[in-house]
Amino acid sequence: MLTAEEWSALSLSVKVSLWCVALVLPPGVFLGWLLARRQFYGKSVIEAAAHLPMVLPPVVTGYLLLLSFGRNGWLGRWLKETFDLSVSFSWKGAVLASAVMSFPLMMRAVRLSMSLIDPRLEQAASTLGAGPLRVFFTVTLPLASPGLLTGAILSFARSLGEFGATITFVGNIEGETRTLPLALYTYTQTPGTEQPALRLVLLSTAVAFAALLGSEALTRRTEQRLRGD
Amino acid sequence: MLALEVALNRGRFTLEARLEFDEGVTGLFGPSGSGKSTLLGLIAGLVRPDRGRIVLDGEPLYDDAASLCLSPHRRRVGLVFQDAQLFPHFSVRGNLLYGLRQIPARERRFHFRDIVDLLALEPLLNAHPRRISGGEKQRVALGRSLLASPRLLLLDEPLASLDARLKAHILPFLEKVRDELDLPILFVSHALPEILYLTDRLALMEQGRIVASGGLEEILRTEPGSGRFGLDNVLTAQVEFHDVEGGCTLARFRGLPVVLPLRTTQAIGRTTYVSVHKGEIALSRGAMPALSIQNQWPGRIVEIEARGSGVEVHLDIGAPLVAEISPRACRELGLHVGETVYALIKTRSFVYLAEQAAEQGLSR
Repeated sequence: MLTAEEWSALSLSVKVSLWCVALVLPPGVFLGWLLARRQFYGKSVIEAAAHLPMVLPPVVTGYLLLLSFGRNGWLGRWLKETFDLSVSFSWKGAVLASAVMSFPLMMRAVRLSMSLIDPRLEQAASTLGAGPLRVFFTVTLPLASPGLLTGAILSFARSLGEFGATITFVGNIEGETRTLPLALYTYTQTPGTEQPALRLVLLSTAVAFAALLGSEALTRRTEQRLRGD
Repeated sequence: MLALEVALNRGRFTLEARLEFDEGVTGLFGPSGSGKSTLLGLIAGLVRPDRGRIVLDGEPLYDDAASLCLSPHRRRVGLVFQDAQLFPHFSVRGNLLYGLRQIPARERRFHFRDIVDLLALEPLLNAHPRRISGGEKQRVALGRSLLASPRLLLLDEPLASLDARLKAHILPFLEKVRDELDLPILFVSHALPEILYLTDRLALMEQGRIVASGGLEEILRTEPGSGRFGLDNVLTAQVEFHDVEGGCTLARFRGLPVVLPLRTTQAIGRTTYVSVHKGEIALSRGAMPALSIQNQWPGRIVEIEARGSGVEVHLDIGAPLVAEISPRACRELGLHVGETVYALIKTRSFVYLAEQAAEQGLSR
């Protein structure tokens, strides 16, 4: 049903998006919690910095990533030397690019859901003998789970659609960094490829739609559990 | 035993409290905004004082001199919030087990079964916290705190968010906790009858300070007037005799005989607290022998104060007593400070305070 090219773009897109969610979840939860629950000096600076990828042109983000994580960038070299990990011009770089782009979405969703939790529930847990870590994992996190889920879906969707930062940072290499949007872009640059382009449009729409439907059902179930229905 | 002496400044609010109490129930009474909940927060470890010391059973929980401030989860101080604060992602059983699970078996003070039986929680165990009534929530919250094996239990207005009928249902459970478990309890309320239902040992809080503490009788003796209880006149009386045929209970208040409504449940020799509304007290120039009113006490006028549409007459009958009469009555009697008048109070005007909390609900 799908051509080899289409299949490669689709599976790469899904792989990159899933890794992106996994990569963005821990720091997103941590920073979301920090902003929702703690008061500290320089909070607004951190908040603004975390939101930067949302307002910067994606090309700028991609170029900054290229400068710092490229072969000659200081972070890139450090990764290479310490973990023998190279992200430039590989699918891992595509994961990094979409993680940076979707981080604000995850963080905002987590922060919103955590700020809606009554702090006295956490206080009650602590008077019952639960230390801060236990309070976080048995009260804060479960009660924020609808927000976590929303954040994960938004990140997944943002990553599926990521284009500018990815193409700037890791290029457009078939089978390595050519995700669905990049494949579509490639077709639009070649004359006489309206039909395969249209197929990719349909494919992208189907994937996005499936993701949204799935998330809708999951969110409903989580909320029902918290409401006690 | 808990002993504390703490100070806390938060903008315009200053709390400077010194308090000591032992086994049994101690009532912390004061108007809203007086710092009662903050004081509980300080004891539980949720609020950090600026300076002072808090010592529970000889172990310091907070000591600024030693830079010691134990985290709430290491204090073993139970706190029941006004609105229960049950975990919505656990069943009632899950809520009850939350604290219990973190206590090693040999350090547990109460068994799950015993608390479930004591608070009649069995039928609720599998229910979700959102699906049970306010009174049931408070019982679950109480059970949850008890099962965490506290050394001290703090109750922050546990009845305030309940209607009168539910209050009457939950008071007997608090009474059982008081009688059957060996646990000091600090009970916060702005309703004196609620407190007196459980104890007559009180601490009075006003504007961040403990202004008096001890037995209610002592406090009334040293307090000029009883206005801060939100009641006009609180009397401490020793029950002497039940005149069943006469339909009254005879008691003595500072040497004065008091005729009260009949309550055979009040043990002879016990102290009972009654209140009488200032508007229910009549004044006369002399004793009125041919009158149905049983209580006629002579007293010296200490102060006459116009208050809105009425006149408050403060008397010294061996204890402060305030009566409210109309300006016209005051003019016609020609009352002046220093004169002696009689305070006339009908038997049925007296209200037993301890009953009030439970009865308000039941009679409604």
